[in-house]
Amino acid sequence: MRRRRTLLRLALAVGVAIVASTGVAYAASLGLASKQLHVWSQTLTKGTCDQTSTTAADTYVQQANPNSVTGGTATTLRIVPTAGSQEYSFITFDLSGCSLPTTGGADSAALSVFVTTAGNDTISLFPVYSSWSESTLNWNGLGGLTIGSTATTTFSGATTGAKTVPVTADVDAAIKAGTLWGWELRATTGTANVVLASSENGTAARRPSMTLSYEK
Amino acid sequence: MKRLTRIIGIALSAAFLSVGVASAASLGLTSGKLGAGSAAVSGCTSSSLTATRNVDNNGNVTQVNVLSVPQACAGQTLAVTLENSAHASLGAGSTVVGACTGGCTVNVTGFGTVAAANLTSYALSLTG
Repeated sequence: MRRRRTLLRLALAVGVAIVASTGVAYAASLGLASKQLHVWSQTLTKGTCDQTSTTAADTYVQQANPNSVTGGTATTLRIVPTAGSQEYSFITFDLSGCSLPTTGGADSAALSVFVTTAGNDTISLFPVYSSWSESTLNWNGLGGLTIGSTATTTFSGATTGAKTVPVTADVDAAIKAGTLWGWELRATTGTANVVLASSENGTAARRPSMTLSYEK
Repeated sequence: MKRLTRIIGIALSAAFLSVGVASAASLGLTSGKLGAGSAAVSGCTSSSLTATRNVDNNGNVTQVNVLSVPQACAGQTLAVTLENSAHASLGAGSTVVGACTGGCTVNVTGFGTVAAANLTSYALSLTG
Protein backbone atom coordinates (compact mmCIF):
# COMPACT_ATOMS: atom_id res chain seq x y z
CA MET A 1 0.00 0.00 0.00
CA ARG A 2 2.78 2.34 1.02
CA ARG A 3 4.81 1.47 -2.05
CA ARG A 4 1.83 2.06 -4.28
CA ARG A 5 1.38 5.57 -2.83
CA THR A 6 5.04 6.26 -3.36
CA LEU A 7 4.84 5.22 -7.00
CA LEU A 8 1.78 7.40 -7.41
CA ARG A 9 3.68 10.43 -6.07
CA LEU A 10 6.57 9.70 -8.38
CA ALA A 11 4.26 9.51 -11.40
CA LEU A 12 2.58 12.77 -10.37
CA ALA A 13 5.92 14.54 -10.09
CA VAL A 14 6.96 13.34 -13.52
CA GLY A 15 3.63 14.42 -14.96
CA VAL A 16 3.94 17.93 -13.53
CA ALA A 17 7.44 18.21 -14.94
CA ILE A 18 6.32 17.16 -18.40
CA VAL A 19 3.42 19.60 -18.43
CA ALA A 20 5.65 22.45 -17.27
CA SER A 21 8.30 21.75 -19.88
CA THR A 22 5.72 21.42 -22.63
CA GLY A 23 4.25 24.80 -21.72
CA VAL A 24 7.59 26.54 -21.94
CA ALA A 25 8.35 24.93 -25.26
CA TYR A 26 5.02 26.05 -26.66
CA ALA A 27 5.70 29.67 -25.65
CA ALA A 28 9.02 29.46 -27.41
CA SER A 29 7.42 28.33 -30.62
CA LEU A 30 5.22 31.44 -30.53
CA GLY A 31 8.35 33.51 -30.22
CA LEU A 32 9.80 31.75 -33.22
CA ALA A 33 6.75 32.59 -35.33
CA SER A 34 7.32 36.31 -34.74
CA LYS A 35 10.76 36.17 -36.37
CA GLN A 36 9.41 37.79 -39.54
CA LEU A 37 7.95 40.79 -37.79
CA HIS A 38 9.83 44.01 -38.59
CA VAL A 39 8.82 47.19 -36.84
CA TRP A 40 9.75 50.79 -37.51
CA SER A 41 8.68 54.09 -36.03
CA GLN A 42 9.04 57.51 -37.64
CA THR A 43 8.55 60.70 -35.70
CA LEU A 44 7.52 63.89 -37.49
CA THR A 45 8.54 67.48 -36.88
CA LYS A 46 5.82 70.12 -37.06
CA GLY A 47 6.23 73.78 -37.91
CA THR A 48 4.79 76.82 -39.63
CA CYS A 49 6.10 78.86 -42.54
CA ASP A 50 3.62 81.60 -43.35
CA GLN A 51 4.08 83.43 -46.64
CA THR A 52 3.74 87.13 -47.32
CA SER A 53 4.27 89.46 -50.26
CA THR A 54 8.00 89.12 -49.67
CA THR A 55 7.96 85.62 -51.12
CA ALA A 56 4.98 86.09 -53.43
CA ALA A 57 5.04 86.35 -57.20
CA ASP A 58 1.93 87.36 -59.09
CA THR A 59 0.77 88.72 -62.41
CA TYR A 60 -2.16 88.69 -64.78
CA VAL A 61 -2.34 88.03 -68.50
CA GLN A 62 -4.59 89.67 -71.06
CA GLN A 63 -6.10 88.02 -74.09
CA ALA A 64 -6.50 91.42 -75.73
CA ASN A 65 -2.81 92.22 -75.17
CA PRO A 66 -1.24 88.80 -75.57
CA ASN A 67 2.36 89.99 -75.36
CA SER A 68 1.88 92.25 -72.34
CA VAL A 69 3.87 91.48 -69.20
CA THR A 70 2.83 94.57 -67.28
CA GLY A 71 0.82 92.45 -64.86
CA GLY A 72 4.04 91.48 -63.14
CA THR A 73 4.59 94.96 -61.74
CA ALA A 74 0.98 96.09 -61.40
CA THR A 75 -0.54 96.85 -58.02
CA THR A 76 -3.64 94.86 -58.88
CA LEU A 77 -4.53 91.48 -60.37
CA ARG A 78 -7.37 91.41 -62.87
CA ILE A 79 -9.86 88.63 -63.62
CA VAL A 80 -12.07 89.22 -66.64
CA PRO A 81 -14.40 86.57 -68.12
CA THR A 82 -15.48 88.50 -71.22
CA ALA A 83 -15.02 86.39 -74.34
CA GLY A 84 -12.23 87.71 -76.53
CA SER A 85 -10.72 89.84 -73.80
CA GLN A 86 -10.34 87.42 -70.93
CA GLU A 87 -7.82 88.09 -68.20
CA TYR A 88 -6.40 85.51 -65.81
CA SER A 89 -4.35 86.09 -62.68
CA PHE A 90 -1.50 84.00 -61.30
CA ILE A 91 -0.21 83.82 -57.72
CA THR A 92 2.52 81.72 -56.14
CA PHE A 93 4.98 81.78 -53.24
CA ASP A 94 8.61 80.79 -53.00
CA LEU A 95 8.72 78.14 -50.28
CA SER A 96 12.47 77.59 -50.46
CA GLY A 97 12.98 79.51 -47.23
CA CYS A 98 10.94 76.89 -45.40
CA SER A 99 13.64 74.26 -46.08
CA LEU A 100 11.08 71.51 -46.49
CA PRO A 101 12.27 68.14 -47.80
CA THR A 102 10.24 66.36 -50.45
CA THR A 103 9.31 63.80 -47.81
CA GLY A 104 7.54 66.55 -45.88
CA GLY A 105 4.04 67.82 -46.42
CA ALA A 106 1.45 70.44 -45.62
CA ASP A 107 -0.81 69.88 -42.64
CA SER A 108 -2.83 72.93 -43.66
CA ALA A 109 -2.43 75.82 -46.07
CA ALA A 110 -4.76 78.71 -46.76
CA LEU A 111 -4.42 81.42 -49.38
CA SER A 112 -5.73 84.90 -48.70
CA VAL A 113 -6.43 87.51 -51.34
CA PHE A 114 -8.21 90.84 -51.15
CA VAL A 115 -10.95 91.79 -53.58
CA THR A 116 -10.73 95.52 -54.30
CA THR A 117 -13.32 95.58 -57.09
CA ALA A 118 -16.22 93.20 -56.70
CA GLY A 119 -18.07 91.39 -59.48
CA ASN A 120 -20.66 88.66 -59.31
CA ASP A 121 -18.28 85.95 -60.47
CA THR A 122 -17.14 82.63 -59.07
CA ILE A 123 -13.38 82.81 -59.00
CA SER A 124 -11.76 79.39 -59.35
CA LEU A 125 -8.17 78.46 -58.50
CA PHE A 126 -6.50 75.96 -60.82
CA PRO A 127 -3.13 74.51 -59.75
CA VAL A 128 -0.15 75.29 -61.96
CA TYR A 129 2.38 72.48 -62.37
CA SER A 130 5.10 74.15 -64.41
CA SER A 131 7.36 77.14 -63.98
CA TRP A 132 6.44 80.70 -64.80
CA SER A 133 7.82 84.12 -63.98
CA GLU A 134 5.84 87.21 -63.11
CA SER A 135 8.21 89.28 -65.23
CA THR A 136 7.76 87.25 -68.44
CA LEU A 137 4.41 85.48 -68.37
CA ASN A 138 1.91 86.75 -70.93
CA TRP A 139 -1.20 85.44 -72.66
CA ASN A 140 0.81 83.84 -75.43
CA GLY A 141 2.80 81.96 -72.83
CA LEU A 142 -0.21 80.17 -71.38
CA GLY A 143 0.13 77.37 -73.89
CA GLY A 144 3.49 76.45 -72.40
CA LEU A 145 2.09 76.03 -68.91
CA THR A 146 0.75 72.87 -67.36
CA ILE A 147 -2.39 73.77 -65.48
CA GLY A 148 -4.71 71.42 -63.65
CA SER A 149 -8.10 70.90 -65.22
CA THR A 150 -9.94 70.70 -61.91
CA ALA A 151 -10.29 73.71 -59.65
CA THR A 152 -8.78 73.30 -56.22
CA THR A 153 -11.19 75.70 -54.63
CA THR A 154 -13.38 78.72 -55.39
CA PHE A 155 -14.53 81.94 -53.83
CA SER A 156 -17.11 84.53 -54.66
CA GLY A 157 -15.95 87.83 -56.06
CA ALA A 158 -19.29 89.43 -55.33
CA THR A 159 -18.07 91.44 -52.38
CA THR A 160 -14.91 93.35 -51.66
CA GLY A 161 -12.61 92.36 -48.82
CA ALA A 162 -10.37 89.49 -47.80
CA LYS A 163 -11.06 86.02 -49.16
CA THR A 164 -9.34 83.01 -47.64
CA VAL A 165 -9.50 79.59 -49.25
CA PRO A 166 -7.92 76.22 -48.37
CA VAL A 167 -5.12 75.08 -50.66
CA THR A 168 -3.70 72.31 -48.50
CA ALA A 169 -3.75 69.53 -51.09
CA ASP A 170 -1.96 71.63 -53.70
CA VAL A 171 0.72 72.85 -51.32
CA ASP A 172 1.22 69.34 -49.97
CA ALA A 173 1.73 68.04 -53.49
CA ALA A 174 4.05 70.94 -54.30
CA ILE A 175 6.24 70.23 -51.28
CA LYS A 176 6.60 66.63 -52.46
CA ALA A 177 7.33 67.83 -55.98
CA GLY A 178 9.96 70.27 -54.70
CA THR A 179 8.43 73.55 -55.92
CA LEU A 180 5.16 75.40 -55.63
CA TRP A 181 4.00 76.94 -58.90
CA GLY A 182 0.83 78.41 -57.45
CA TRP A 183 -2.53 78.93 -59.05
CA GLU A 184 -4.26 80.41 -62.03
CA LEU A 185 -7.31 82.43 -60.94
CA ARG A 186 -10.09 82.85 -63.44
CA ALA A 187 -13.83 83.38 -63.42
CA THR A 188 -15.80 80.18 -64.01
CA THR A 189 -19.20 81.79 -63.67
CA GLY A 190 -20.32 85.38 -64.11
CA THR A 191 -19.51 88.15 -66.54
CA ALA A 192 -18.15 90.92 -64.34
CA ASN A 193 -14.60 92.11 -63.86
CA VAL A 194 -12.99 91.29 -60.49
CA VAL A 195 -9.85 93.01 -59.26
CA LEU A 196 -7.54 91.79 -56.48
CA ALA A 197 -4.68 93.51 -54.67
CA SER A 198 -1.29 92.28 -55.87
CA SER A 199 1.95 91.81 -53.97
CA GLU A 200 2.93 95.30 -55.15
CA ASN A 201 -0.22 96.87 -53.71
CA GLY A 202 0.35 99.97 -51.60
CA THR A 203 -1.65 98.56 -48.73
CA ALA A 204 0.43 95.75 -47.31
CA ALA A 205 -2.49 94.12 -45.50
CA ARG A 206 -4.25 93.58 -48.83
CA ARG A 207 -1.43 91.74 -50.54
CA PRO A 208 -1.71 87.98 -51.15
CA SER A 209 -0.53 85.83 -48.28
CA MET A 210 -0.62 82.19 -47.29
CA THR A 211 -0.54 80.42 -43.95
CA LEU A 212 1.29 77.12 -43.95
CA SER A 213 1.60 74.46 -41.28
CA TYR A 214 3.84 71.61 -42.25
CA GLU A 215 5.40 68.37 -41.14
CA LYS A 216 8.76 66.96 -42.03
CA MET B 1 12.13 5.45 0.89
CA LYS B 2 9.49 8.14 0.94
CA ARG B 3 12.12 10.87 1.16
CA LEU B 4 14.11 9.28 -1.64
CA THR B 5 11.06 9.19 -3.86
CA ARG B 6 10.40 12.90 -3.21
CA ILE B 7 13.97 13.78 -4.01
CA ILE B 8 13.85 11.82 -7.23
CA GLY B 9 10.56 13.48 -8.16
CA ILE B 10 11.87 16.99 -7.51
CA ALA B 11 15.05 16.24 -9.41
CA LEU B 12 13.12 14.96 -12.41
CA SER B 13 10.87 18.04 -12.36
CA ALA B 14 13.85 20.35 -12.24
CA ALA B 15 15.51 18.50 -15.07
CA PHE B 16 12.46 18.75 -17.34
CA LEU B 17 11.96 22.41 -16.50
CA SER B 18 15.54 23.30 -17.18
CA VAL B 19 15.42 21.52 -20.52
CA GLY B 20 12.30 23.47 -21.43
CA VAL B 21 13.70 26.82 -20.36
CA ALA B 22 16.96 26.18 -22.13
CA SER B 23 15.07 25.37 -25.29
CA ALA B 24 13.05 28.58 -25.05
CA ALA B 25 16.17 30.65 -24.49
CA SER B 26 17.83 29.32 -27.59
CA LEU B 27 14.71 29.94 -29.65
CA GLY B 28 14.55 33.49 -28.31
CA LEU B 29 18.11 34.15 -29.41
CA THR B 30 17.41 32.77 -32.86
CA SER B 31 14.35 34.98 -33.10
CA GLY B 32 16.45 38.04 -32.26
CA LYS B 33 18.94 37.29 -35.03
CA LEU B 34 16.23 36.88 -37.61
CA GLY B 35 14.53 40.14 -36.62
CA ALA B 36 17.80 41.97 -37.00
CA GLY B 37 17.99 41.00 -40.62
CA SER B 38 19.58 37.63 -41.19
CA ALA B 39 19.36 35.86 -44.52
CA ALA B 40 16.64 33.64 -43.12
CA VAL B 41 14.06 36.33 -43.92
CA SER B 42 14.98 36.44 -47.60
CA GLY B 43 16.38 39.97 -47.60
CA CYS B 44 13.14 41.63 -46.53
CA THR B 45 14.97 43.90 -44.14
CA SER B 46 15.80 47.53 -44.01
CA SER B 47 17.46 49.69 -41.43
CA SER B 48 14.45 51.98 -41.64
CA LEU B 49 11.45 52.82 -43.76
CA THR B 50 10.33 56.34 -44.62
CA ALA B 51 6.68 57.25 -44.87
CA THR B 52 4.96 60.30 -46.31
CA ARG B 53 1.29 61.03 -46.54
CA ASN B 54 -1.03 62.78 -48.92
CA VAL B 55 -3.83 65.02 -47.71
CA ASP B 56 -7.04 66.38 -49.12
CA ASN B 57 -7.80 70.07 -49.17
CA ASN B 58 -9.19 69.85 -45.64
CA GLY B 59 -5.89 68.52 -44.36
CA ASN B 60 -7.10 64.95 -43.77
CA VAL B 61 -4.82 62.05 -44.58
CA THR B 62 -5.89 60.28 -47.76
CA GLN B 63 -2.96 57.93 -48.26
CA VAL B 64 0.35 56.94 -46.70
CA ASN B 65 3.26 56.21 -49.00
CA VAL B 66 5.98 53.97 -47.61
CA LEU B 67 9.19 54.44 -49.55
CA SER B 68 12.02 52.06 -50.38
CA VAL B 69 10.38 48.84 -49.26
CA PRO B 70 12.78 46.05 -50.32
CA GLN B 71 11.70 44.00 -53.27
CA ALA B 72 12.08 40.86 -51.18
CA CYS B 73 9.15 41.98 -49.02
CA ALA B 74 6.67 41.21 -51.80
CA GLY B 75 3.87 39.15 -50.37
CA GLN B 76 4.34 40.41 -46.83
CA THR B 77 1.78 42.55 -45.10
CA LEU B 78 2.72 46.17 -44.47
CA ALA B 79 0.75 47.75 -41.64
CA VAL B 80 0.73 51.46 -40.89
CA THR B 81 -0.60 53.07 -37.74
CA LEU B 82 -0.99 56.84 -37.53
CA GLU B 83 -0.19 58.07 -34.05
CA ASN B 84 -0.67 61.30 -32.13
CA SER B 85 1.78 62.86 -29.72
CA ALA B 86 0.74 60.41 -27.00
CA HIS B 87 1.39 57.53 -29.43
CA ALA B 88 -2.29 56.70 -29.44
CA SER B 89 -3.65 55.35 -32.69
CA LEU B 90 -5.53 57.80 -34.89
CA GLY B 91 -6.14 55.23 -37.61
CA ALA B 92 -4.57 52.17 -39.15
CA GLY B 93 -4.38 50.49 -42.50
CA SER B 94 -2.53 47.67 -44.15
CA THR B 95 -1.86 46.13 -47.52
CA VAL B 96 0.08 43.27 -49.01
CA VAL B 97 3.30 44.39 -50.64
CA GLY B 98 3.12 43.71 -54.36
CA ALA B 99 5.86 42.68 -56.72
CA CYS B 100 8.08 45.47 -57.96
CA THR B 101 11.58 46.10 -59.19
CA GLY B 102 14.07 47.85 -56.96
CA GLY B 103 12.77 49.67 -53.91
CA CYS B 104 9.00 49.68 -53.84
CA THR B 105 6.76 52.54 -52.84
CA VAL B 106 3.77 51.01 -51.13
CA ASN B 107 0.60 53.04 -50.77
CA VAL B 108 -1.74 52.36 -47.88
CA THR B 109 -5.25 53.79 -47.62
CA GLY B 110 -8.32 53.39 -45.45
CA PHE B 111 -7.38 55.36 -42.36
CA GLY B 112 -10.74 57.04 -41.92
CA THR B 113 -10.78 60.76 -41.20
CA VAL B 114 -7.46 61.67 -39.64
CA ALA B 115 -6.27 65.28 -39.56
CA ALA B 116 -2.64 65.45 -40.64
CA ALA B 117 -2.13 68.16 -38.04
CA ASN B 118 -2.68 65.57 -35.30
CA LEU B 119 -0.33 63.04 -36.84
CA THR B 120 3.06 63.06 -35.14
CA SER B 121 4.44 59.62 -35.88
CA TYR B 122 4.03 56.52 -38.00
CA ALA B 123 4.31 52.99 -36.66
CA LEU B 124 5.19 50.61 -39.48
CA SER B 125 5.47 46.86 -39.50
CA LEU B 126 6.08 44.12 -42.04
CA THR B 127 4.92 40.61 -41.33
CA GLY B 128 5.14 37.61 -43.52
